[in-house]
Amino acid sequence: MKLAGNDILIQSLIKEGVEYIFGYPGGAALHIYDSIFKQNEMEHILVRHEQGATHAADGYARATGKPGVVLVTSGPGATNAITGIATAFMDSIPMIIISGQVAKHLIGTDAFQETDMIGISRPIVKHSFTVDSAENIPEIVKHAFHIATSGRPGPVVIDVPKDTTAPDKLFDFVYPEKVNIRSYNPPINPEKEQIERAVEAILDAEKPVIYAGGGAINSNASEELLLLNKILDFPVTNTLMGLGIYPATHERFLGMLGMHGTYQANMAMHNADLIIAVGARFDDRITNTPSLFAPNAKIIHLDVDHSSVSKIIEANIAVFGQVKNSLTEIIKSLETKKELIDSKKISHWKKQISEWQSQHGLNHEMYLNENDDNPIMPQAVVQHIYNITKGNAYITSDVGQHQMFAAQYYHFDEPRKWINSGGLGTMGFGLPAAMGVKLAFPNEEVVCITGEGSIQMCIQELSTCTQYDLPIKIININNEALGMVKQWQDMNYGGRHSASTYQSSLPNFVELVESYGHVGIKIEKNSDLKNGLKKAFMQKDKLVFVDVYVDPSEHVYPMLVAPNGSLKDMWLDKETKT
Amino acid sequence: MIQRKLSIILENKPGALVRVVGLFHQRGYNIESLHVDPVNNLNEYKYVEKNLNIKLNKGEVSHLIIATTVNDNLLRQILRQINKLIDVLIAEEME
Repeated sequence: MKLAGNDILIQSLIKEGVEYIFGYPGGAALHIYDSIFKQNEMEHILVRHEQGATHAADGYARATGKPGVVLVTSGPGATNAITGIATAFMDSIPMIIISGQVAKHLIGTDAFQETDMIGISRPIVKHSFTVDSAENIPEIVKHAFHIATSGRPGPVVIDVPKDTTAPDKLFDFVYPEKVNIRSYNPPINPEKEQIERAVEAILDAEKPVIYAGGGAINSNASEELLLLNKILDFPVTNTLMGLGIYPATHERFLGMLGMHGTYQANMAMHNADLIIAVGARFDDRITNTPSLFAPNAKIIHLDVDHSSVSKIIEANIAVFGQVKNSLTEIIKSLETKKELIDSKKISHWKKQISEWQSQHGLNHEMYLNENDDNPIMPQAVVQHIYNITKGNAYITSDVGQHQMFAAQYYHFDEPRKWINSGGLGTMGFGLPAAMGVKLAFPNEEVVCITGEGSIQMCIQELSTCTQYDLPIKIININNEALGMVKQWQDMNYGGRHSASTYQSSLPNFVELVESYGHVGIKIEKNSDLKNGLKKAFMQKDKLVFVDVYVDPSEHVYPMLVAPNGSLKDMWLDKETKT
Repeated sequence: MIQRKLSIILENKPGALVRVVGLFHQRGYNIESLHVDPVNNLNEYKYVEKNLNIKLNKGEVSHLIIATTVNDNLLRQILRQINKLIDVLIAEEME
């Protein structure tokens, strides 16, 4: 079959099974857009800003496990996509970004809408390609999808000079079936010796904790993790990125750990004699001061990425491979040694953890309040959402206090249902990410828990939701301030709220969303909270935006004491430190 | 800390070198000297073919030597990060 470069590119994406492409047209991408118009196997979603395209593709990827695909034009189109690419990179999300580029003969001449996309994106991509000729497009696309989705996943940029997609030059189109990149061989199966060492340490442990993160979700290892713990019955904590990989309602689940982790999760990590890290990378929100981290723990680290192991915390036993496979091998080995598993060994430890939990575990009741003399508490909003959606919704979030309240009080029992920007912490992520999730799962409840700060960073996507009829629910936890910034200013800067309030400049969100054709509900009183939220979720076919005014003085706790604190050093409320 | 020399074999194609060099800055390491040549004398690079089970052609890959002053842990981390780059075939400390 002979095709032009633009058609070769689109047909290659179709061969990769792409259902949605999120993008925004412009000069350098027009040949490609013409090819999109001529086919109907893949739907293009026109966003209102390229950042929205990347987050939507990202949300789609996180929820489905399939790569998200983005198409932008050169220059500003490409640079607007950068924040979303960096977001995907930090959280290891598979994404393909196709950026238009000026024609080859114009590169380097400061042509209209020319920017060095490969150069700008280099530190925030797993890899990138420049198309030199239409003939090479199939191979480049094949390589890009392979790199984005294998090993530790990540975004891959394909920069496409306009002349390589010219409709008047035809080339043979054959899509490669196999891919082999000689310099790229991520580990798949673990080494037997490391598995045996890990099993030996597991059998020895008296105070073990399983610490699972986003890598376990990327590797689709939830079943294996459950299976492993059927044998071991160890306490399990999840990182912010790992929530859902182990059922939150399971008896052994400790909650999230780290900066705003639960008391019992942080105490268990600090006092453990064995930490089994499963696809987690010991980042600074988790370890607090690395030299004070878990002083008596032996570390088993399961990861697909060599450079994540012993980067911050030295691993005693490193197991390289897909964590799904590594867990399977550990399970197999344990099954041959069942007589050596002594559940009594850890009974004292489990008792200790229950005590921690009853001392300072998350309080649910104290935030639920029917009295209109008291302000609405943000934790109550999340609890009501959890109850109304029966814990089954896809929850996207933005960044800040509402994100932490959502992580703490929406108890995720399944992986891929909690969609948030953990690594980069990108405000503006939640709404476009929810669009991507809703397109992937139109019959599922998709909720964006956001704040009045974050939502305004990509609020233009409300228009995209109208165009493609995406009835998501947006819960705006409105404290009329940049809450997390304000919390830090309260705690560390003598309450000087520098640039963290808006001085009565917020829009009327109800009128704003109504002008896009959506439904807006404003809630200001405790007595209206439950019913107001219920009313929102009853409107299945409408995008409903609920603007909930909450206690502006509320802080997120627990909170690790920093700098120079360990995981046992926490603020439990405004007055109490451990 | 002493100066180490890193020996890096990478694909000889546009953009490959800058990924390695850029990584040093991104991760906060310093490059003290740098030398790069296309590999023409394949006899000296049999180990690359053997380690990766591939066949090299003349001029297809480049040999990059970078000197940097780091401790053992950082050296290991740098090498792991360089090895992770898609265009790098082998990165190791020079004997």
